[in-house]
Amino acid sequence: MSEKKREFYVVNHSVPRGDGVAKVTGQAKYASDVVLPGMAYAKLLRSPYAHARILSIKVGEAEAQPGVFAVLTGDRLEGLNPYYGHAVKDHPVLAMGKVRYVGEPVVAVVAVDERTAFQALDHITVQYEEMPAVLSVEQALAKGAPILHERTFAAGGFRGFEADVSAGRGTNICQEAHVTWGDADKAFAEAAAVVEGEYYYPMAYAYAMEPYVCVAEVNESGVTCYSSCQHPFIVRHDVAGVFNLPVSKVRLVVPFVGGGYGSKSYTKIEPLTAACAWKARRPVKLQLSVEEAVLTTRSDDALVRERTAVDAQGKLLARQATIYLNTGAYAENSPLVCEKAANRAAGPYRIPNARIDCYGVYTNTAPASSFRGFGSAQVTLAAESQIDEIAEKIGQDPLAFRLANVAERGEVFFPKSRPLDGDLKSDLKKVADLLGWDKPLPKGKGRAVGCTASDAGAYPVTSAAVRVHGDGSVSVLTGSTELGQGSHTIVAQIAAEEIGVPFEKVRVVGSDTAITPFDRSTGASRTTTLMGRAVLEACQDAVSQMRAMAADVLRCPVEEVTLMRGGVQRGADRLDWSQVLARYFGLPDGEVLGRAYLRKAGDLSQLPVFWELGCLGVQVSVDEETGRVHLEKLAVVGDVGLAINPALAEGQDLGAATMGMGIGLYEELIYDGEQLVNNSLLDYRVPRFSDLPEELHLALTENQDGVGPYGAKGGGEGSLNPISSALVNALYRATGVRLRRVPLLPERVWRALRDARHGRESCPAPTKQDAKSRREAG
Amino acid sequence: MMPLRRFRIHQPGTIAEAAEMLAHFGESGRLYAGGTELLLAMKHDVLRFEHLVDVKTVPGLAGIEANGGWLRIGGVATHRSIEISPVVRQRLPLFAEMEAKVANGRVRATGTLAGNLCFAEPHSDPATLLLALEARVRVEGRSGPRTLTIQELIPGAYQTSLASDEILTAVEIPLPKNGQRASYLKFQVHERPTLGLALVMETQDRGQAIATARVAVGCVCPFPRRSRQAESLLVGDRPQVERNLSQAAEVLADEADLIDDLEGGADYKRHLISVFLKRAFACAFPGR
Repeated sequence: MSEKKREFYVVNHSVPRGDGVAKVTGQAKYASDVVLPGMAYAKLLRSPYAHARILSIKVGEAEAQPGVFAVLTGDRLEGLNPYYGHAVKDHPVLAMGKVRYVGEPVVAVVAVDERTAFQALDHITVQYEEMPAVLSVEQALAKGAPILHERTFAAGGFRGFEADVSAGRGTNICQEAHVTWGDADKAFAEAAAVVEGEYYYPMAYAYAMEPYVCVAEVNESGVTCYSSCQHPFIVRHDVAGVFNLPVSKVRLVVPFVGGGYGSKSYTKIEPLTAACAWKARRPVKLQLSVEEAVLTTRSDDALVRERTAVDAQGKLLARQATIYLNTGAYAENSPLVCEKAANRAAGPYRIPNARIDCYGVYTNTAPASSFRGFGSAQVTLAAESQIDEIAEKIGQDPLAFRLANVAERGEVFFPKSRPLDGDLKSDLKKVADLLGWDKPLPKGKGRAVGCTASDAGAYPVTSAAVRVHGDGSVSVLTGSTELGQGSHTIVAQIAAEEIGVPFEKVRVVGSDTAITPFDRSTGASRTTTLMGRAVLEACQDAVSQMRAMAADVLRCPVEEVTLMRGGVQRGADRLDWSQVLARYFGLPDGEVLGRAYLRKAGDLSQLPVFWELGCLGVQVSVDEETGRVHLEKLAVVGDVGLAINPALAEGQDLGAATMGMGIGLYEELIYDGEQLVNNSLLDYRVPRFSDLPEELHLALTENQDGVGPYGAKGGGEGSLNPISSALVNALYRATGVRLRRVPLLPERVWRALRDARHGRESCPAPTKQDAKSRREAG
Repeated sequence: MMPLRRFRIHQPGTIAEAAEMLAHFGESGRLYAGGTELLLAMKHDVLRFEHLVDVKTVPGLAGIEANGGWLRIGGVATHRSIEISPVVRQRLPLFAEMEAKVANGRVRATGTLAGNLCFAEPHSDPATLLLALEARVRVEGRSGPRTLTIQELIPGAYQTSLASDEILTAVEIPLPKNGQRASYLKFQVHERPTLGLALVMETQDRGQAIATARVAVGCVCPFPRRSRQAESLLVGDRPQVERNLSQAAEVLADEADLIDDLEGGADYKRHLISVFLKRAFACAFPGR
């Protein structure tokens, strides 16, 4: 699809985002702004136990409270299919028979306002019988461990992976994935040098500023949900399943979304909100607090045991990794995270032998699911740490070692996959230049680079419609959701470019499954590539129709009509699109509908749709007295094929790097026994502006080598993935102390530095939470 | 964060009326000024009150003035108003600087100094500095006015010695004399500081000798603490005091009842006290 870089009118320009003014003036509407006539509000009673049988639920007193319309429990769902899940149908609308984590919704109260619903929760009595719980991967996999899910599950229609479902087969394994090529055992036996280690990447919360919110209405025309979801069509599928309805009777409307980062992928509170509306016989709004949102979805934390081998020439010979993901109580999208973590564990290198085994494990903790980077960040901490470790072991500079081993453009570095469609080698060099790799550094400072490649784009099914109106203005109907990433701006730029109208004349109609054509999802960095291309093709379809119309009104063969920007010409006759449409329809209005469907075919038949690259460098300073690590310099190169909007592309790169830095330095959800202890923003530390590096370099590589419009590829996740390992490697180069766990909290770094001074090994990744062991020690 | 449970706000016109209301409501009522701690706790459903007595409407409680050797800050003066007060900036700049770094802009705009002290949150910046500055508070209840030191006011985490009908009407800080050297430093990772450390010294001979010293730590312990023994190590010739800093930090840590929590282990906090006592000392003598 790639073409020579031509002159662009609208794309490849940093057009101010179309929704900018509405957002900064507070006019943009989000799902929480939706108010329907007669709407009621729901509040949830959540489980205080990690694993317990529900013996009885007494709700009579709550129902009798003034202002309460309905009380919903797991055994009051007669007539609905109470389980949903796009991958594994293990998730009940409300706890059924037992609870599987502290914070699981058990009862919903619907009342005239939020406060009444909340206060009515006090009048509910639930009797539980506690059961032994498994709170870590280790406990969950132990012999004789209590089992979370006793029954087997059919694979969901949108599971996104090809393997069989592992869940419910008598163990707590939710999903496993295995990737092998070559002969890893033989390679390790013959290696010139090997490094080996255990690494831990923490569980994190994506902290979208807007927590989950849904407004649902159930009536004779079906179910309508206004939701903060990323993937309305997959949610529609799940809701249709719960209510036994055809998808045409389920409507998902997604206004602006206040950030997603994967945490709003797939179905969350929509079935429950719709069930509340169904029970209460009126529209219902359910909006969660941040504390509740953390209990709804977090990221999988990961324990990774990895080893890496090189030959005598310093070439990577083999990698082997065993990955345990803590998936929490329900599968959500973790089976796919499991598969992707396995795919991404070896890294973007030329490695002749590999064996990766990944296990997503159910535990009695909050459910884990998609999170920006999607398993890559979890495994890259180990993978990219070990690149530095092995380079050092054989006396090589870590940058030089990467340049010697990184996959070349066009190389098939992962079996049965699209060849590398980016230029990591030149990206690494660019990063090193921006960082000043060879410049001397004072004591207490260190630099590192890192790179990743993620099999991105998900499954390529996307459609779009473009309406060119009688006055030459354009409406784009897109099922992609505007999460703040700027997708509505991108598709408008493409439409303006292709139809030949000013950007301001394009209106983007956002996700509404009753109106906008199908798009699988807004995730996996796929929107620019796939929706962008669908919009481009739909525009071309419209243009081609309008050219034929022009031929009709000019009474000439189509071949004699040549295209010009914004219209056609034939000899001295020039018609813009509004003139073509006015003459064709005989009215000052009328329209042309262009459409496009993308599927896994043609140049999209080989997966991944594209390799999303991450490539960055960091420089840190370390306050050895307090242990505080500060990121003072960051260089990011986004290898995006072609930036439809360079400012937005760079903003995404910076956002992803900053989010990753948060986990690298500060963020970590902590369980103390059954209890998540820091799900409030008072205790969970997200990055602040003051944490941003003093020196920042953002650069783009635009080789037009993607399958997206004009050779574009996706971005927005890549730079999250290698930053934790880069921080760890930079800390090592600053201090000589290597941590195999993030975040690099000051206390943790201080302990490691102290232990190193006393000649103690402080590297192993602790499997128990620090807070807990501290408490035990105290 | 949950919806606030139903409650009533009452707005007394005088201190006496406020005291009457608080006495009348007893356990079900609470004094309310900025609300930045109180409402947060209520939204997290860890505190429940049916009646809030809003003293912001009581006239004369927001003033800030320097008089007779004391800086007097009224009971409903916000952090922000203290931070930008010309009197505070001129007469006690260290306090203005500390106030400028309390929490965040939204908290400073609404939250009051007196409310901060009365909530006795262990991570309070002002309480630690006020302790080292030997500030006092004026209190009024139905039985009349009293004056308390910071130690007397805050005997424990989230505890004050105020009777349920008593209102903190003013914080009074002795104005520094010539030769006072003081600093307040904090170390912060999360929303609340891990450590706050205040050092206030009266010096002689152009700073070459330290006549008296007061040092306080907060956040690392349930409530801000001073140590007389540590302070005695901080008196004398400056080079000698500088050599004593490590030992003083040890003594201070011993007496502080350090706690293990999400901010760090007690041994880490002990270490931080030592680091920050030295930094605070260096800070108090800039340009060396």
